[in-house]
Amino acid sequence: MSDVVVVGAGLAGLTAAIRLARAGRAVTLLSAGVGGLQLSQGTVDLLGYTPDRVHHPLDAIDRTADADHAHPYHHLRADGVRHAVEWFAEVLGPGELVGSLQTNVHLPTAVGALRPTALMPPSMAAGDLRDGANVAIIGLRRLKDLYPDLIADNLSRTDLPSGGRVNARGVHVDFVVRDGESDSSGLVTARALDDSSTLLRFADAMARELTDDDHVVGVPAVLGLVDTQTVWSTLQTRLGRPVFEIPLPPPSVPGIRMNASLTAHAKAAGVRFVMGGRVVGATREGTRITGLQTDTAGRLRLTRSPWIVFAPGGFESGAIDVDSYGAIREPVFDLPLAHVPSDPVVSADYWADHPLFRTGVAVDHSMRPVDPTGAAVLDNLVVAGGLIAGATRWREKSGEGIAIATAVRAADTIIEDGS
Amino acid sequence: MNDEMRASLDHCVKCTVCEAHCPVAAVTPLFPGPKYVGPQGERFRESGTSVDISLDYCSGCGICTHVCPQDVKIAEINAQARHEMKSRKGISVRDRLISRPMVTGRLSAPVAPIANAVLRNGLARRALSATLRIHRKAPLPASARMTLRRWLRGRTQAPAKRGTIVYFHGCAANFYEVETGRMTIEVLEHLGYRVLTPKQGCCGLPLQSNGLFDDARQHVHSLVSALDGAGHGLPIVASSTSCGLMLKREAHEILGMEDATLASVGARTFDICEFLLDLHDHGELPLDLAPIEMTIPYHAPCQLRGHGIGTPAVELMKLIPGVTVVESNAACCGVAGTYGLKREKYDIAMAVGAPLFNMVRDMHPPLAVCDSETCRWQIATATGVETVHPIALIHRAYGLS
Repeated sequence: MSDVVVVGAGLAGLTAAIRLARAGRAVTLLSAGVGGLQLSQGTVDLLGYTPDRVHHPLDAIDRTADADHAHPYHHLRADGVRHAVEWFAEVLGPGELVGSLQTNVHLPTAVGALRPTALMPPSMAAGDLRDGANVAIIGLRRLKDLYPDLIADNLSRTDLPSGGRVNARGVHVDFVVRDGESDSSGLVTARALDDSSTLLRFADAMARELTDDDHVVGVPAVLGLVDTQTVWSTLQTRLGRPVFEIPLPPPSVPGIRMNASLTAHAKAAGVRFVMGGRVVGATREGTRITGLQTDTAGRLRLTRSPWIVFAPGGFESGAIDVDSYGAIREPVFDLPLAHVPSDPVVSADYWADHPLFRTGVAVDHSMRPVDPTGAAVLDNLVVAGGLIAGATRWREKSGEGIAIATAVRAADTIIEDGS
Repeated sequence: MNDEMRASLDHCVKCTVCEAHCPVAAVTPLFPGPKYVGPQGERFRESGTSVDISLDYCSGCGICTHVCPQDVKIAEINAQARHEMKSRKGISVRDRLISRPMVTGRLSAPVAPIANAVLRNGLARRALSATLRIHRKAPLPASARMTLRRWLRGRTQAPAKRGTIVYFHGCAANFYEVETGRMTIEVLEHLGYRVLTPKQGCCGLPLQSNGLFDDARQHVHSLVSALDGAGHGLPIVASSTSCGLMLKREAHEILGMEDATLASVGARTFDICEFLLDLHDHGELPLDLAPIEMTIPYHAPCQLRGHGIGTPAVELMKLIPGVTVVESNAACCGVAGTYGLKREKYDIAMAVGAPLFNMVRDMHPPLAVCDSETCRWQIATATGVETVHPIALIHRAYGLS
């Protein structure tokens, strides 16, 4: 029997599992499938909008913690986030994650907006653009998820957060990734570029389209799936100028890399992965969960454990049920939910704040779920990540910060318990 | 199309997790990926008519369903669509032959040395490739001189101390890899179980994966009544992880069988490593395991992942002092049952398995370990490294070999 069962293989679940396993706990990680991390853009967003653009995320986290007691950051504050994210950055190392917790950078997206984030892969860092820079945005004719002219036009008419503007131009390159394929995904392209001869062919095709006036080069985030450090630095050397990756819609190569890296760290720390069975229920004695039921082939299986980290994600991950009458519940443990919207559960205005996204489980400082009076409802279960109520993570760009910091706090509750 | 499976495609959020993990789409543009031919293509299939034949390049490994975070039955939808497509086009002699291991096994067992010599003969394999389009280098198993059932006839059982178990050996352990069957029985008896081995046939999995659903259903019917008939309510242990999965899940989800006996048998079927690790989790597995000083590459086959039980073989082998298990973390060995035997699919299968083969070769191990028989034959043929079922190590550590 494991010391801890972690439910969920997203950023929060993987982070908690690594933290616990490195502290000597025997950890089993149960998940319905691969976690949502691999759909992400591979950056660590702490806080990007409140709703104005955030430049100093830790300061903004403390202001949020003071102003909004229902926000997940209320329990963590800047100190809790820094403690957790610094540890997380050490796990991945500077070869995979760079940047500063103090100051956000603003990286071009696949539509040419500037997205605030704190930490990023080194291959994206040169996307933090400066006034007067001539930027070439390279699009691949066979890759339909990045339109260089759209990005270049939007970048050129955007005031940089640091002041000034850039001159951006779109460049088209026809690069044959696999013979007979006219529509190669970013993933297929990234796999191909791990091969050094394909990479050199790729670099030469780009070099032909660049001029001496292009200071910085933006490319789709396809620079290798396994050894991005080598692919990216080789390309920079061949092109003789800084190169940055622009994340694409899924399959998102930077997200796949981070997911693979964290999964490898978890396995190396001894985490036992059991994928392919959704956790559908639990056995309990009073306020203790004694076992988890997973829906596996042929039957329900019971996994017993003294501690549970529950990190199944939010509404978008299927961790919160909404039925056709608008009734909302957490289906596994029937945990009390906070911020449950009154009818209707979503707004008719697509771009408005949809109250459903703030719906989730309220927690105390130890990450135990609480009822509306603030009392913990279970002794041996802690919650991490997107299930926690109170944040519209996609709008405020706080998803990774909340996932990592709540996962570390949840893991530490178990580690400090010591039993 | 099974409505339960088809309904699941509405859960698809187009996240592309399946595309990212598909081992076939990773190596060939001939297969555009499970989402494309599955939840996307399915919307355009009227009464099962496929919109494009790339579906045929799906190996049926099931990884897409396994990794899907939204419980979409991608592999099942594609298997059913492939069945429809093949039913219309007609199913080749080759596919009808390689999907019947009982027939080939029965024919070759009495003349095993001759049959094996023929399969090792380059000229004969060229002929097989030219006539039947079975690739001349594909891993075809050698027939055993004595089948498991013949071996069983000549022995007396140890008295039961602990309960009775039904053993589902499948075709492979009967005709080709008799030692896997023998060792499974001997380990279970060593633990004190009485092991019943009712007369049993094929589970129908190769028929199913070659689109012969009606024949597959007949095989499932006969098999579940044989296993159930050995003793109603008894636990059933399988040493073939893919055949066990057929009873637990695929007969219902792919063949659409709604059968009370099947449901009962499926709910009582355990993979042998799952069964032993459950014993260990309850503190009931004797740990008097003799040391084996060995570093072993282990590959978790796709069909094991479909059970949703993790990798019990790894946990079990780690209980043996001296054993270091190195997991392949590779997606698939490529063979996917009978896919990699086919001349037009062989190169794809070998490209799928290449990372695994390289990892095994680089370790220069005395043995490799894998739970599934066709994967073992594929790994052994591709690498030259003897590849065994995990039960072989447990058997040895208990001093039984």
